[in-house]
Amino acid sequence: MAILIIAEHDNSTLKSATLNTVTAASQMGEELHLLVAGEGCAAVAEAAAGVAGVSKVLLADNAAYGRQLAENLSLLVAELGKDYSHVVAPATTTGKNVMPRVAALLDVGQISDIIAVEAADTFERPIYAGNAIATVQSLDAIKVITVRGTAFDAAASTGGSASVDRVSPAHDAGTSAFVSEEMAKSDRPELTAASVVVSGGRGLGNGENFALLESLADKLGGAVGASRAAVDAGFVPNDMQVGQTGKIVAPDIYFAVGISGAIQHLAGMKDSKVIVAINKDEEAPIFQVADYSLVADLFEAVPELESKL
Amino acid sequence: MSDYKHPHQDAEFVLNELVGFDDLCAANGFDDINFELASAILTEAGKLGSEVLAPLNVIGDNQGVKLTEQGVEETAGFKEAYQQFAEGGWSSLIADEEYEGQGLPNVLCTAVNEIWQSANMAFALCPLLTQGAVEAIAHHGSEELKQTYLPKMVSGEWTGTMNLTEPDAGTDLAAIKTRAIPNGDHYLITGQKIFITWGDHQMTDNTIHLVLARLPDAPAGVKGISLFVVPKFLLDAEGNPGVRNDVKCVSVEHKLGIHASPTCVMSYGDKEGAIGYLVGEANKGLAYMFTMMNCARQGVGLQGVAIAERSYQQALDYAKERLQGTNKDGSRFAIIKFPDVRRMLMQMKSATEAMRALAFVGAAEVDRAGRAQDEADQRRHQARLELLTPIVKGWITELSQEITYLGTQVNGGMGFIEETGSAQHYRDARILTIYEGTTGIQALDLVGRKTLLNKGEALAELLAEIEETVVALSKHEGFAEQGAALREALEAGNTARSWLLENAAKDPAAAGAVSVHFMMLFGYLCGGWLMGQSALRAQTLLDAGEGDPEYLKAKLVTAQFFSEHLLPRTKASLETIQKGSASIMALSEDQF
Amino acid sequence: MKVLVAVKRVIDYNVKVRVKPDNSDVDLANVKMALNPFCEIAVEEAVRLKESGAASEVVVVSIGPKACQEQIRTALALGADRGIQIETEELPESLSVAKLLAKVVEAEQPGLVILGKQSIDADNNQTGQMLGALLNRPQGTFASEVKIDGDSVNVTREVDGGLQTLNLKLPAIVTTDLRLNEPRYAKLPDIMKAKRKPLDVKTPADLGVDLKNHTRLLKVSAPAERQAGIRVASVDELIDKLKNEAKVL
Repeated sequence: MAILIIAEHDNSTLKSATLNTVTAASQMGEELHLLVAGEGCAAVAEAAAGVAGVSKVLLADNAAYGRQLAENLSLLVAELGKDYSHVVAPATTTGKNVMPRVAALLDVGQISDIIAVEAADTFERPIYAGNAIATVQSLDAIKVITVRGTAFDAAASTGGSASVDRVSPAHDAGTSAFVSEEMAKSDRPELTAASVVVSGGRGLGNGENFALLESLADKLGGAVGASRAAVDAGFVPNDMQVGQTGKIVAPDIYFAVGISGAIQHLAGMKDSKVIVAINKDEEAPIFQVADYSLVADLFEAVPELESKL
Repeated sequence: MSDYKHPHQDAEFVLNELVGFDDLCAANGFDDINFELASAILTEAGKLGSEVLAPLNVIGDNQGVKLTEQGVEETAGFKEAYQQFAEGGWSSLIADEEYEGQGLPNVLCTAVNEIWQSANMAFALCPLLTQGAVEAIAHHGSEELKQTYLPKMVSGEWTGTMNLTEPDAGTDLAAIKTRAIPNGDHYLITGQKIFITWGDHQMTDNTIHLVLARLPDAPAGVKGISLFVVPKFLLDAEGNPGVRNDVKCVSVEHKLGIHASPTCVMSYGDKEGAIGYLVGEANKGLAYMFTMMNCARQGVGLQGVAIAERSYQQALDYAKERLQGTNKDGSRFAIIKFPDVRRMLMQMKSATEAMRALAFVGAAEVDRAGRAQDEADQRRHQARLELLTPIVKGWITELSQEITYLGTQVNGGMGFIEETGSAQHYRDARILTIYEGTTGIQALDLVGRKTLLNKGEALAELLAEIEETVVALSKHEGFAEQGAALREALEAGNTARSWLLENAAKDPAAAGAVSVHFMMLFGYLCGGWLMGQSALRAQTLLDAGEGDPEYLKAKLVTAQFFSEHLLPRTKASLETIQKGSASIMALSEDQF
Repeated sequence: MKVLVAVKRVIDYNVKVRVKPDNSDVDLANVKMALNPFCEIAVEEAVRLKESGAASEVVVVSIGPKACQEQIRTALALGADRGIQIETEELPESLSVAKLLAKVVEAEQPGLVILGKQSIDADNNQTGQMLGALLNRPQGTFASEVKIDGDSVNVTREVDGGLQTLNLKLPAIVTTDLRLNEPRYAKLPDIMKAKRKPLDVKTPADLGVDLKNHTRLLKVSAPAERQAGIRVASVDELIDKLKNEAKVL
């Protein structure tokens, strides 16, 4: 039986999370169908048809699906999903919103946020905020799954030549309505919430040089932090301090620039997913915790990094 | 600076296994109160302590307090924290239900207090002093005074202070000079009080001072001192704070520690005299103070537990993170792997557990003595309470100096730097052996009123009870060595007791000269006794497959460590005690 | 309007979990347990709705062994009016939980059911949505704002990239996100009062629900430790590693 993948999109473009999900699904079975449900989303279906590995695109173009409302979308997916072995969606807020409803309608369990496929019915997923990894086997005939995108490579967005079939059912539960949305502005994010943090230490030399870090942070949509040494030296205000006595951060990438890595500082950032350290002192303790260490003059390396990103 | 987490497992172990909390509640009329409720209360208090009070600890240390035209300004953030504390009803833990209190046992109040004291000792002094003032009014005040002041003090809406010390009257309160002149239905108070903890602040809209003063016709000395209630703001007809009374803080002390706790010089009656109301009968003020002494002194002993725990947690975090060793493959390891760092951490952990055990067991005697129905029971518990109190205060606070010292030592050079927070605990701890009766006073109380006065009877009863634990340990295969060690310590205790009874009569300086060693000996002996009981209880639970095995196995080790490293100190104390006063008193004053 | 809040007993978020040596599960023997933080936010929201007059009664329900009564008592101390425990030996899977809750909803007829968006143990993020499907009710998941408006509720949701506001017809389901509110600290007198608030115990059989497992847990392992870092020789190599190895760019 084939696998039904729910495409993530905004009615005009196919979101990349879909491509990672296609890769995950391809490890569960061979025949991959991609459902594009939305309103005025034919262009998305067309793009979906080009995704490598997808053999069929189902297009449900109806006002009821325009905002991906879970009440409506879950009725559609559950109806279509009955004929599939797996129903798979990206673990985005949309996927997480809809898929448990689909599972309940199909009277099956749901497996959330998988990071590896061991077999068609067996998956790895993080539990306890990633402090343990569970391997779970589904006992259901239809497996309803959400996929953590960062755990799988993206499938090629071109090269496929799937057919596009329109599907007709229009389900409108009539119980929910879209009111408004407010998408994040491009201002620099708050330090503790940022997914990228660029922090500077005494190696920056003065406050003006933090502009180097600001411009790198802006390019990555990140925030700027500082070590205690930089704060004490008066380079930057103390609300930027990362460390045990300052802010505790755990971004996806933490750049420690010109920071030696005092224990106080490490305590504030050691839970970051990836730590990059740039320091010209080869012996700097920061290199002991960094995933990627670059021994270099920050005044050359940082502008180069920014220009090449 | 490190976070504070309430050591709920150990607190609950002591309450359950050593104090017998449910039995205590059932036997003493604490209806509806049980361990489950106590656990819920500790959990919620733990959240408030670690999330609200603990983060302000270092801020209070750095910023301290300021005296302005308006009075004392507390550290920024303390007012909001205090309001959260009071609104949460945490001031009302122990007070009688009659005054909107929750009427909970003293031992539970003690366990909760540990959280406040660990989280922020400077802050926690404020409600602690209020509690003392509430007790004084509740036990000795007229019905009118109680109805007027207690509900708002119990709710935390107003705070309370204790005004005893004067420039010339510290330990010797007989020298008090503050005067109270009768004036209609009240008195006019004039004089100066020093060392008044939280004597002034802006956290609440009134502060109720309890003040010791002399009436014009009072007899000289300790029998001529009366106790007065002096509100910062006089109450209007509706009982709300109105006109400012003639009392103010004229200076705040600069101190070694507890910077956020304003230590005030209070001036009464700069103008016409501060209006005060007599508590109870005239000339009985000092006697009233004595009735509260057990709780007050045990409260300070508990602060010793609390600061030791905080210092231990800080040192432990540091020892686990500080990389200063290099493995063969070049990777580095944390200093907790070094045996000597282990020794220090074990000493901190083991001693703190023993101190907590003694503090809670002592606090439970307050409940038992206060509520016992049977007269013989009541006498027995009262005697035990009075015996344990100077040990709880004296031994625990002395040992807390060593623990906070070790905490700083574990931090190495960073410990001498303020940033780690270790130095603050070391400095904050220093007051504990001084206020509420110095170590010397506690030791004198132990050898004098608590031992010689009853011919060593109270001690003999305690020693007999310790013997039971020695027997139980010795019978148990796994604890034979601990049993033997405790027996030696017990014998040291017995010998010291006999020596004191025999020599105090012969040599007038003997009791005073050996008193601190005597007190420390009994402190370590009590610690060994309770850690021995802890080991037995932990093993029983392990055998039954109950409780958290990791915690219980660790308890077996901390008990063993105490027996091996701290209990032997009893023998050294005994040896010194047996030398008596000779070399202590031999020099003439000129020879110093 | 009655509000039903579902709460779960989970490991205290301060406790670091240990994987059992035989990799069968994490070791929860005697570790400190607490109210799931998202559930605490759910209780707080319900209590605030009551305080604002929008709700008349807050009923809290938990599913599990007797120990979960502790968490019900915590919720009662925070302001809920009464509790229901559904006694089970093990913690059922999300779909079974949703089925049990659906039966409680049928009996209690709340205008709003509030749940945490996920529990911090299994991290599933499923129960609220499943309950919505079973009851055919609308849902506002990952809520950061809840406003009752006559016979509907406006829920602002934290979605990828921003906020989305939906209007849901009551009765509805809401699941909470972290920023919905800041839960209060329980007050001592309320902890004491919570002891005396009513708490009913029911079984799955009382509710006519058969518990069924849809998954089998094969193994639990510890995540890979942070690897000793590598040196990169140039900015180019760094960018390459971040893109292709760490996949964070």
